[in-house]
Amino acid sequence: MGQGVLAGFRSISNSLRQSLGGGAPADPKTLFAHFRAVLDHNNRSLEVITDMGEKLGGDYLFDINYTRSAYESLYEAISGSIRNFALLTGDRYPQLAEVLARIDTLVERMFAAAGPEGGALVVPYAEITWDMAEEVGGKNYHLAEMANALHLPVPPSFAVTTAAFDAFVRHNGLGERLAGLAAGADDGALAGLRAAVLAGAVPPELAESFDRAVAALRHRLGPDATLAVRSSAEEEDGDFSFAGQFESVLNVPCTGAAVAEAYKQVVASLYEPGAVAYQRHLGCDPGRLRMAVAVVAMVPARSSGVIYTVASGTEPDTLLVNAAWGLGTAVVDGRTDADLFTVAKSGGPRLAASRVGGKETMVVNDGASGIATVATPAGQRGVPSLSEAEVLALARQAMAIETYFKAPQDIEWAVDRDGRTFILQARGLRVEHGPEESAADASEPLAASHLPVLLADHGTVVQKGVTAGKVFVLKHADDLDRVPRGAILVARHDSPHFVRVIPFLNAIITDVGAPTSHMASICREFSIPTVVNTGDGTALLGHDEEVTLMAGDENRVTVYAGIAHDLLREQRQTARRMREIYEFRRQKYVMRYIAPLNLVNPLEEEFAADKCKTVHDLIRFMHEKSVQSLVASATRQGRGIMGVFGGRKGLRRLALPLPIQVLAIDLGGGFVDGPASGEATLAEIASVPLRALLQGMMHPGVWHEENLALQGRDLLSGMSRAADLTGGGAAAGANLAVISGDYVNMSMRFGYHFNMLDSYCSDTPRNNHIYFRFVGGAAAITSRSRRIQMMASILAESGFIIKTKGDLLVARVSNLSREDIERILDQTGRLIAFTRQLDAVLDSDETVARLARAFLAGDYRVRP
Amino acid sequence: MTKHSIMIIDDEKIVGDMARLSLEQDGYEVETFLDGRSALDRLEVRPFDVVVTDLKMKGVDGLQVLRTVKKRHPKTVVIMITAFANLDVAIEALRDDVHDFFPKPVKLKELKASIERALGKDGGH
Repeated sequence: MGQGVLAGFRSISNSLRQSLGGGAPADPKTLFAHFRAVLDHNNRSLEVITDMGEKLGGDYLFDINYTRSAYESLYEAISGSIRNFALLTGDRYPQLAEVLARIDTLVERMFAAAGPEGGALVVPYAEITWDMAEEVGGKNYHLAEMANALHLPVPPSFAVTTAAFDAFVRHNGLGERLAGLAAGADDGALAGLRAAVLAGAVPPELAESFDRAVAALRHRLGPDATLAVRSSAEEEDGDFSFAGQFESVLNVPCTGAAVAEAYKQVVASLYEPGAVAYQRHLGCDPGRLRMAVAVVAMVPARSSGVIYTVASGTEPDTLLVNAAWGLGTAVVDGRTDADLFTVAKSGGPRLAASRVGGKETMVVNDGASGIATVATPAGQRGVPSLSEAEVLALARQAMAIETYFKAPQDIEWAVDRDGRTFILQARGLRVEHGPEESAADASEPLAASHLPVLLADHGTVVQKGVTAGKVFVLKHADDLDRVPRGAILVARHDSPHFVRVIPFLNAIITDVGAPTSHMASICREFSIPTVVNTGDGTALLGHDEEVTLMAGDENRVTVYAGIAHDLLREQRQTARRMREIYEFRRQKYVMRYIAPLNLVNPLEEEFAADKCKTVHDLIRFMHEKSVQSLVASATRQGRGIMGVFGGRKGLRRLALPLPIQVLAIDLGGGFVDGPASGEATLAEIASVPLRALLQGMMHPGVWHEENLALQGRDLLSGMSRAADLTGGGAAAGANLAVISGDYVNMSMRFGYHFNMLDSYCSDTPRNNHIYFRFVGGAAAITSRSRRIQMMASILAESGFIIKTKGDLLVARVSNLSREDIERILDQTGRLIAFTRQLDAVLDSDETVARLARAFLAGDYRVRP
Repeated sequence: MTKHSIMIIDDEKIVGDMARLSLEQDGYEVETFLDGRSALDRLEVRPFDVVVTDLKMKGVDGLQVLRTVKKRHPKTVVIMITAFANLDVAIEALRDDVHDFFPKPVKLKELKASIERALGKDGGH
C-alpha cells in the first residue's frame, strides 16, 4: 500500500469534480447503486475486522503473513467504500482518503517493526504508541496507555525518551565513564559521575524540545502549574520495578530551564550507590541502563495515596486503598499513619472495612522550594481523607486498570480540591500466590459445579471469556450513565452507545444483536466477554444479581448465580500469559488502528470526517452519511419528480384501503411486475420494507372512524395532491415513496404532521436500518410535547435511539435482522396512523402513559 | 505419568511461542525451533512424541523434516501446518505419513484435539 494511496484518490476526486462539474445530480438509480456498493464494501471490511479480531484474540496460531494478508483485504474493501462514497456524495468528504492514508502509514510501520520516526527526544502522551515502550520507559508507557486506551484521568504529561538520554550523554562526553561502570566503581567514582551529570549541559535540541513541551503544558494548565519529574526506567512488564530507586523531583516550575535542571537530578540518581547495587543485583550493567523520564503535571492534591488491586495472592477479591492528606509521598514512603480502606471487588466495588489513621503529618507543596512535611491541621487528624464515594470511584478505576493489564496493579493516585481523581502511576504488583492459586479446583465450595445455572446455551458468543459481576439490566438508554464499572450489562438491544462504558464493563449480554455490530467489534477490541441474541437474557437475569458468565467456543454460554472463583482464576492466568508474548502484542496492536470506534453519536459535533481515526470510524461515518445522502436524494426526487423521471414513467399510484394516497417511484425490484405503470395493489408491491410499513398502517383499528371524519379535509387534499402529480401538475413532496426491493423512503403528510421514514431491509442485518423523522404542529405546545413523548416511549420499546427537540422527533435503529426490521416497520406504521388522531385527546401526562401502554398492548382506541 | 513431548518448528517465532504457552498449560513438554536444521539436530539427540512443523521454511523445509522423522523415529506423529492452503495435492501424497494438516491460522483447540487423538488420549482409535 503506502504511497500512491492519496494520489489515487485525488485523481478520482478530480475526475469526479469534472463529471459533476455542472452540479447536475446523478440519476437516482446510479446513486442507489453507489449506496449499495458502499454497504457491500463496508460489510466486507467488517467481516475482515471480525476475522482479525478472532484470529488475533489468542485462540489461534497465526503469523505475520496472516496479519498482512488480512490487512490487505481490509484495505481493498475500505478503499472500495471510499470510492463509492465519493461518487454517492459528490466527493463531499475528501478527508476520508487522507485518514486512510494516515492509518496505512501507521500499520505499515507496525509491519516493518520500525520505531517512530527520528528518535524523538520528547513525546507527548497522546503520541505514545505500542512500539515505544522501550523508548519512553515503563512508567510513561503505562500512563499513556491508561490515558489513550482507557481514557482514565491522567494529568497532562510528556515523556523524555532514551534517545534524549543518549543525546545528553554524547553532548557531555560521558560515554566512556559509563562504559567503565561495568567493571566496578567505588562510591567516590560514582559521586564524581553524579557531579558530572549535574554540571552537564542539556544539548540545545533537547532544551528546545523541553521548551516546546513545557509551553504546551503551560498553555493547558495556566502559569501557576508545577510539574513532577520522575524516572521512567521500569521494565515495561514490571519485571524490574526499580520502585523507589531513583530520584523524583516534585513541584518543578513550568519552564524549560527548570525541567532541564530536574531532568539532570533524576538522571544523576541512576548513579547513586544504592541504585547501582540494585541494578547489579538484577543482572543489568549499571552503565548500560538508559533512563527515560516522565514529566507529569502536579495535581494540587487534597488527598493522595496508593491502591493495591489485590490484598494478597490468597485474597484476589480484596482491593486496598491507602490514603492521606496532601501529596502522596508520605504514603508511598510509609511515613504516615495513613487511612486504609478495604474494598470487595466482586459484583462492583463495595467498601468492606475502613481504618482511619491519625495522619499527624502531611506533605504539601511548598512553593518554589519544592515540598515540605508539615503537621496536619488539628481538624484533619483522625478524619478520613476520602469519602466512601471517592474510595469507590478510585476502586473502579483501579479495577479497570487491572482488567486492562490483566494483572494485579500497584497504583498511585490523587484527588484534587474539586474532588477530581487522577491516576499518577500504575505498575504490575508482584503477588505471592497461595498454593491453591495454581490450578482450578472443582471441589472447592464456590466452584462452578456447585452454583445454580441461570442461563445455558442461549445466544451468540461475540467475545469469549469468563467473568463475574453484578447484573445491570438496562431499561432506558438514559440509565447508561448509572451503570457501575465492573458490572455485567444486560440489555434488550446492542447499541454503539455502549461504547463509552464498554472498557469499564465486565461483560455484555443482549437479547437481540449481531456479532458483526459496531458494539461487537469494540467488545472484541477490549476483550470484554460478550453474548448477543440470548432472546431472554433480560428476563432470566435479575438486576443487581451477582453472576458468573462463561462464554466459550461453539456458542457455549453459561451464566451461574454467584461467583465461580475456580473459573475466574483459570481465565486470569491464560490471558495474562498470552500477552507476555511480545510478537503477539505487536501484531495485535495493528487492531488499534482498525477496530476502535471513536465516532459514536451522529448527532454530536465530533461526528465529522476529520475526526475519523480508525477503519471502523470510516465505516461508521460512511454508513451514516450514505443513508443521509440517500434520504436527501430521495427527497430531491420527490420535489423535482417530473424532471428526474421525465414524466409519469416509473411513478405508480398505490391502490390501498388507506385514507391517504401514496405514489411510488421504483428504483428497481420494488414491484412484482417490474417497470409497469398504472395503479399497484399491495400484492404487486415487492419492496419488503414498504410492504411491512403499509401492513402496519393498514392494521385493523389503527385508523378510527371518528378521526376519519375529522380528517375529511386532509383526505381530500391528499387525494388532490396525488391527482395533481400524476396529472403532471404541481410538484409536491407529500405521500411519496421511493422504493426498491429492499429499500423505502417515504414522505407522508397528514395535515400538519410530517412523517419521513427511510429503511433498508435486506438479509444482511448490518445493512439494515430504519430512520424515522416526525414533525408535528397545529396543536397547543403542551399537547405537542406530550405527543412526542408518547411516540418516543413507544419507539424506544422497539429499540430505536431517539432524539427529540421541540416538535421534532428523530429515531434510528440499525443492524437488525430482516424479520426484526419488518416487525418494527409494521409497528411504526401503526404508530404513524395512530398518532394522527391524538392531538385532541392528549389532555394530560397520565393519558400519554395510558395510551402508550395501550398501544404497546395492541389496543389502538384513543378513548377508553 | 511422564509428560508427552511435543516439538514445534516454525520460522515465525510467534507461532512457537503461542503454541508452547498453550500446550504447556495442558501439561505437555514443549520445545520450539525456528528452522528445520536445528530441529533435526535436536532429533538426533532425543525423540519426541509429536512434531508440529511448518511446511514452508527456508533451508530444511517441513517435507524434509517429515521424511527424516519418519526414518529415524517411525512412531513419532507429525502434524503439518502451513500458510498456503492450496497444497492439497502434496498433502494428499503425504497422507499416510502426516497425521494431520492445518492451514494457518490454526485454531489452538483443534490442534490440541488432533494431538490428543494422535496420542490416543481421546479413548483411542
